[in-house]
Amino acid sequence: MAEFYGTTVADIFNTMPKRFKPEEAKEEDIAIGYECKGEGKWKVTIKHGTIKVEEVKGDLKGCATTIHAADAETFIGTTLGKIQAMDALTTGKLRVVGDVKLLMTLLPKIFVQYTVPEKKSSVVAKDIISTITERFRPDKAAGVDMKVGYDLAGEGGGKWTIVIKDGKCAVKEGLAKDLTVKMTMPAEIYVGMMLGTISGESAFTSGQVKLDGDMMAAGATSRFFNKFVDPNAQASEAEELITIKVTNSINCRFATGTAYGMWFKGLKEKKFLANVCPKCGRTQITPREICAFCRVRCNEFAELGPKGTITAADVVYFASPDPLTGAVRETPYAMCWILLDNASPQEAFCFDIKREDLPKMKVGARVRPVWAKETKGTFTDLLYFELDK
Amino acid sequence: MTTMTCKKEDTTNCFVFEGKMALPNQYFVGRLGSKFIIALRDKKKIMGLKCPKCKKTFVPPREYCHFCQTKIDENWVELGNEGVLVNYAVVRYLGKHLPRKVPYILGQIKLKGADTPLTHIVEGVDIKDVRIGMKLKAVFAPKTTNTLLDLDHFEPV
Repeated sequence: MAEFYGTTVADIFNTMPKRFKPEEAKEEDIAIGYECKGEGKWKVTIKHGTIKVEEVKGDLKGCATTIHAADAETFIGTTLGKIQAMDALTTGKLRVVGDVKLLMTLLPKIFVQYTVPEKKSSVVAKDIISTITERFRPDKAAGVDMKVGYDLAGEGGGKWTIVIKDGKCAVKEGLAKDLTVKMTMPAEIYVGMMLGTISGESAFTSGQVKLDGDMMAAGATSRFFNKFVDPNAQASEAEELITIKVTNSINCRFATGTAYGMWFKGLKEKKFLANVCPKCGRTQITPREICAFCRVRCNEFAELGPKGTITAADVVYFASPDPLTGAVRETPYAMCWILLDNASPQEAFCFDIKREDLPKMKVGARVRPVWAKETKGTFTDLLYFELDK
Repeated sequence: MTTMTCKKEDTTNCFVFEGKMALPNQYFVGRLGSKFIIALRDKKKIMGLKCPKCKKTFVPPREYCHFCQTKIDENWVELGNEGVLVNYAVVRYLGKHLPRKVPYILGQIKLKGADTPLTHIVEGVDIKDVRIGMKLKAVFAPKTTNTLLDLDHFEPV
């Protein structure tokens, strides 16, 4: 009988009567046939809260619905949910003759989900002690000189002395006379502690572990050894999942150019400087070197505002990172299109509005700028606009 | 015909803003990637995945066989900690996110028992002396970072 995912097809059928929920199946009267290639055939009869599971040698007779699995892996995999039933059905590895929908709703209702029985670890204290020298980490135990005694009672137990000296480790049978510390405990407690199923601290405080000698030394010993790995428990060991967190720092440089440089110069003086097209007379804010309409250089600057009128506003609920710092700002905030006084029509300027003014803000409202205490000719000089009441 | 002139502009008010952008990233290494790193970290072993059909062993791990698309995610095999350098590149680009100071050697090492090479840092050999076919062995990091760099580098046997 082939084993997959730590169990066999027979296990699934043998546990069926135990997993059966009679009260859920009071109304049911159905016989379901199972065929698993290479494993055998089973007939499961459910009648008014009773269940009968029988292995069938010949043909499956008298079954309303039959399930055919191409191999044991498919059958066990779909039962455990390791393989999606839909996938198995579409690839033809699983075939159902009869009412598929009925099965999909009936089976989860009347059966407790099958789970793989846990295998008990067969590791004993002796096995763990025998791996001590290979788990020893000389780099961690430099300059350490101690003798640790283990008195482990019960099956697989015994008495050992671990000698750590000059970056070397040796295990000796029996207890030495000049022990740094002696640990007395039942062998099974030691195994549990080494496998991580029993916490060392609770075993000690509950009195299952007795220490004679240097308690600090006893606590330090685990540092000198790599963790013991149960060779029989490889399947269930790696459920730890790793997520890597990195914060990359990207250096950025923004060159202002001539026109934009004037804008920042203006901010330093708490002024809004727009440039003016010599041809069409349009004000550009923020300033750009060329008039977007006339394609001529705009070298003249004019001061706008400082007050203005809201012409449109977007309230932002999803914040993108600040390109200078990567910090994500608080939401919601509003980007307002503000037509500063003396600006050409359509030449509104986009900026933040004070958070507290968000509910009262509307198109047509008058606003005034709020400046930083100290203006330095940079992005942060202009804080926001607020309603001008 | 028009002539174009290039005038030297007044750069009095031109200046540069310096920025430093922090990009916080979170990267899930995957179920198989986790197993791979945990084996490096806890057992100091390099693990691969073997396709039972093609008999090919893949490292770093992947869920499906490269050749026949069979799901191989349960079929772990232990690889040797030694291998042969099958290809290499010398990294000279000075990037501040690189794991080593440049120049360093990034090699592709075909480990014992593997059919695909593993790309990793090669140390302990001069850039002038590195040759394809060199025998290399894995050196594990003394302190875990829970990343692929728990396998610190490869060096000549």
